[in-house]
Amino acid sequence: MVGGVMRGIGRYTLLSIILAVMIFPLLWMFRVSLSAPGASIGLADVFSTGLSLQTYTDIFRTSHMGRYLFNSAFVGVTVTAGNILFSFMVGYTLARYRTLTNKLVFFTVIGILMIPAHIVIIPLYVLMVKAHLYDTYWALILPWLVNPIGIFLVKQYVETIPTSMEEAARIDGAGELSILFRIVMPMCKPALAVLAIQVFFTNWNSFLFPFILTQSDQIRTLPVALALYQGHQAIDWQHLMAGSTIAVLPVLILFIIMQRQIVSGITAGAVKQ
Amino acid sequence: MKNARTVALLLALPWVVTFAAFWLFPVVYSLIVGFTDAQLLAHETHWVGWDNFRALFHDPAFVSSLKNTFLFVIVTIPITTVVSLSLAHMVNRQFKGRGLFRAGYFVPSITSMVVIALIFTNLYQRGGYVAMLASMVGFTPPQNGFLFDSHTALYAIMAMDIWMAAGYYMLIFLAGLKSIPDELYEAAELSGAGKIRQFFSITLPMLKPVALFILVINSIKSFQVFVEIFVMTSGKFDTSTAVFFVYDTGLTTKFQFGYASAAAYVLFVIIAVFSAAQFMLLRRRQPLW
Repeated sequence: MVGGVMRGIGRYTLLSIILAVMIFPLLWMFRVSLSAPGASIGLADVFSTGLSLQTYTDIFRTSHMGRYLFNSAFVGVTVTAGNILFSFMVGYTLARYRTLTNKLVFFTVIGILMIPAHIVIIPLYVLMVKAHLYDTYWALILPWLVNPIGIFLVKQYVETIPTSMEEAARIDGAGELSILFRIVMPMCKPALAVLAIQVFFTNWNSFLFPFILTQSDQIRTLPVALALYQGHQAIDWQHLMAGSTIAVLPVLILFIIMQRQIVSGITAGAVKQ
Repeated sequence: MKNARTVALLLALPWVVTFAAFWLFPVVYSLIVGFTDAQLLAHETHWVGWDNFRALFHDPAFVSSLKNTFLFVIVTIPITTVVSLSLAHMVNRQFKGRGLFRAGYFVPSITSMVVIALIFTNLYQRGGYVAMLASMVGFTPPQNGFLFDSHTALYAIMAMDIWMAAGYYMLIFLAGLKSIPDELYEAAELSGAGKIRQFFSITLPMLKPVALFILVINSIKSFQVFVEIFVMTSGKFDTSTAVFFVYDTGLTTKFQFGYASAAAYVLFVIIAVFSAAQFMLLRRRQPLW
């Protein structure tokens, strides 16, 4: 009995130490962002230095923070909406029309999943410059409107839905498109929610392509702005950490709301194979 | 039925178009460009055959980038796998507050890499938190901070990556653990197998498919490490990686599209071979452990 209690305490201690290690860096970011600008925050000052929201008002006043935030949100929402619509359409087609062409298409989808993205760094840059899409929203949106993982997720899900509803609607004379959007799409909500949250997170956090495909403050997204902010002068940690906190908050909030969808999105591919 | 086929085609159209324009074309284009001396400002481009590839392997910058990339993969993948499996094992069984611990361990992996890299740049700096912890356990931290020293910079970045990814792979391992039927453990219990024996004879073998999945996606990701390098050291202090090399030669100062594309393809081939090897190794009939 006593041994069990001791083991319990030992377990919680270990788990808590790990928890502290895992979330300390994020707490540190938050704490630094809340200190008054200019007040160098050392290791010992965490508790003694007062709290201030000055850094947050600063970055909105003196930098293009508002613009970066808008860009990130606009690109993120557009790409997510595109994926919900287009990945759904392709995934549905692949699940329901099992022709030879579609099987080929499906294997191409899987093939693309395997191609490492770094291959397109140079050509995508060249393409966007030549097509005069460099440094526009198009460059940040078009290549990511449909993604193979989304197609895969939808296809797997649609295959679990019985076709009887669709057939009944067809007999009643409903058109293919209204069957698709009025009947099947609502039933796919769980899969589409998983897809949406994954696409949004990836896009919101994305750095490499937004970085190489843009150059002006008008188009740059928040992670790009943060990464480049550092270079200007001696690092101004307070403001940088305030900007970082702003970049993390939407993700944290969505995580709390949509934990289940996030988890099932991550584990979907792993256990089935 | 003819109608249905047209609809099917129309539905796939947006994907076919964007795929052809933004993935298929670039992949083919960069393969071709890899055999030329294309540059941003060059007036004409020449076919140079395998010259780029030959030059790459005589280029100390590329060789050291490749070496760093391999080092990164070889060090981080085993550690990340073991750490995430241990975490999964710890938070698998039922206890109070389990959800909180799981969520806490997982949170770093959904945070932006840029933000994480910035936070750790702060933590690793001279007189920063990590330096303080290091001196507490009797280790003298590098004079200019961990990221400004060729001996520690890359390892510091690796440690951060392991910290960040552990929760993500923990989740995948958890899903794998959940898919193991309880009856196996009950049977083992009945025949007197202890907890440790159960772990090695049931848990590990049953997790093989999940472990394979994790190995493959983690190594594809790790071979392409870039963001943290760019943000934390800009490839200095012996931290340049293959993708950083592609970026550096292709999209800064000289814009050597041909040379950079060739380098990208070398990495592509390495990743493909590596993934194939992992598949073959772990698909063997006999369990590896």
